[in-house]
Amino acid sequence: MALRNVLRTPASIRPLLLQPPRVLYHSYEHDIPPPYRDAESAILSSAIAHVPALGFTQETLTLGAKDAGYLDISTNLFPKGAFELVKYHLVTQRLALKDRIQFPGEQTGVGRKVRSLVLERLRANADADVVRRWQEALALMSLAENIPASLRELSALSDEIWFLAGDVSVDTSWYTKRASLSGIYAATEVYQTTDQSTDFRDTELFLDRRLEDLRVVGGAVGNTLQWVGFQGGALVNLMRSKGVRI
Amino acid sequence: MAFVLPRAAVVPSLPLKARLTPLAFQLQARSRNVSARRTIISSAASPATEPEPERLHKPQPSRRKPLSAEQKKYLDKALRVNQAGELAATLIYTAQMPPINKAYPHLRPLMKHMYDQEAGHFKKFNELLAKHRIRPTAMYPLWQAAATFLGWSTAAMGREAAMACTEAVETEIGEHYNGQVRELLTWMTDMENRGEEVGEELRLLIEDIRRIRDEELEHLDHAVQNDAKEANPYELLTGVIRTGCRGAIWVSEKV
Repeated sequence: MALRNVLRTPASIRPLLLQPPRVLYHSYEHDIPPPYRDAESAILSSAIAHVPALGFTQETLTLGAKDAGYLDISTNLFPKGAFELVKYHLVTQRLALKDRIQFPGEQTGVGRKVRSLVLERLRANADADVVRRWQEALALMSLAENIPASLRELSALSDEIWFLAGDVSVDTSWYTKRASLSGIYAATEVYQTTDQSTDFRDTELFLDRRLEDLRVVGGAVGNTLQWVGFQGGALVNLMRSKGVRI
Repeated sequence: MAFVLPRAAVVPSLPLKARLTPLAFQLQARSRNVSARRTIISSAASPATEPEPERLHKPQPSRRKPLSAEQKKYLDKALRVNQAGELAATLIYTAQMPPINKAYPHLRPLMKHMYDQEAGHFKKFNELLAKHRIRPTAMYPLWQAAATFLGWSTAAMGREAAMACTEAVETEIGEHYNGQVRELLTWMTDMENRGEEVGEELRLLIEDIRRIRDEELEHLDHAVQNDAKEANPYELLTGVIRTGCRGAIWVSEKV
């Protein structure tokens, strides 16, 4: 955290420069603490409203600060500038996902739920009207200094989607599922920025094709590993039946 | 006239070895910090000396105050390591059972009983990890391979070696769970002293880990009763396995 940024932030809101730690152990006896404190939240939420008109820029942040009743200089609270606005959108949409879509019955399978959750998250982009500005956001996210934070948000979203879909596996597939869903979501979001069809139907078809690829490839790899395991076990059992003491 | 001042009367005003070099000071400070901040603790202290608060057995109202970040980090690491440990235990028994049951059919019920209990523990920790959204260890496939190899090789060395492997693993795991139970009971007493509610989640967690610890120590007793100490390279075998377990615990905490 640059000393310069600390000194430039108005003294009253300097404590807000400290970042809260990541949530590790999810407790059901408490709501998770809000990701942004009051001042930050006020500035960013007013700024987001201007994004469709002005895009993800420093100007939008300054306008948001003014609307929320803070001094222009309060944008020093956000040392990464416009990227903080992108991150705010990502975080708030991820946390809002469980309120936007619920699965009351037990009929839908995990795969269908994952599809619905991804589509709902993409629809949230459309509802916030940021889709035509999203390529700017992607450019900001791909800057070297922002890549770790962007990847962390992408993996957090992937984890959230699998959790809401009811996935309970906690072996190696925990990692492979999240990695593959991160890739699929990122690709679909990029596709959405170029999609001109009504209601983003082409994006839905794109997502279906990606999920089908995942099913085919994942199934093939899983089956091959299972086959290899069976061959190994069968070999050991065969040798045992012949009297080899292993 | 020579006037010799006795040595004892000369009191230097400054300590003779005045200061550490800056590097030595930093290393000393760092080692002191590291030992104070070790998150997972083991405890070889007997379970009989554990505190036994009555609150542990009564359903609790839900907490008003959330757990602190350090406490959450501790639970995250502890449950991840526990799941990895139970995975290894189930695989060790799965690999040991065919050769041992073939050569010593009278051990079949004992091995099945121990395996069933380990499978129950594994299922419990899987549920806890999924429920509390804790990441499993990334070394999962490595531990699968290592545990299967360990079970298979000790069974190939004979019944006593297999029992010695069980004894070594259960000793390490028992100490590990002891440490966790003591830590969580310390939290509970701190919360009581401060007048906070403990909450059902924490209470059930402590009860579960205690029950699992008791069952692991029971396995340890079974292993010793079945001639674990008769294994031929006993010290080497148990030493290697215990060091391996400690290393695996340390790695699973981080990765």
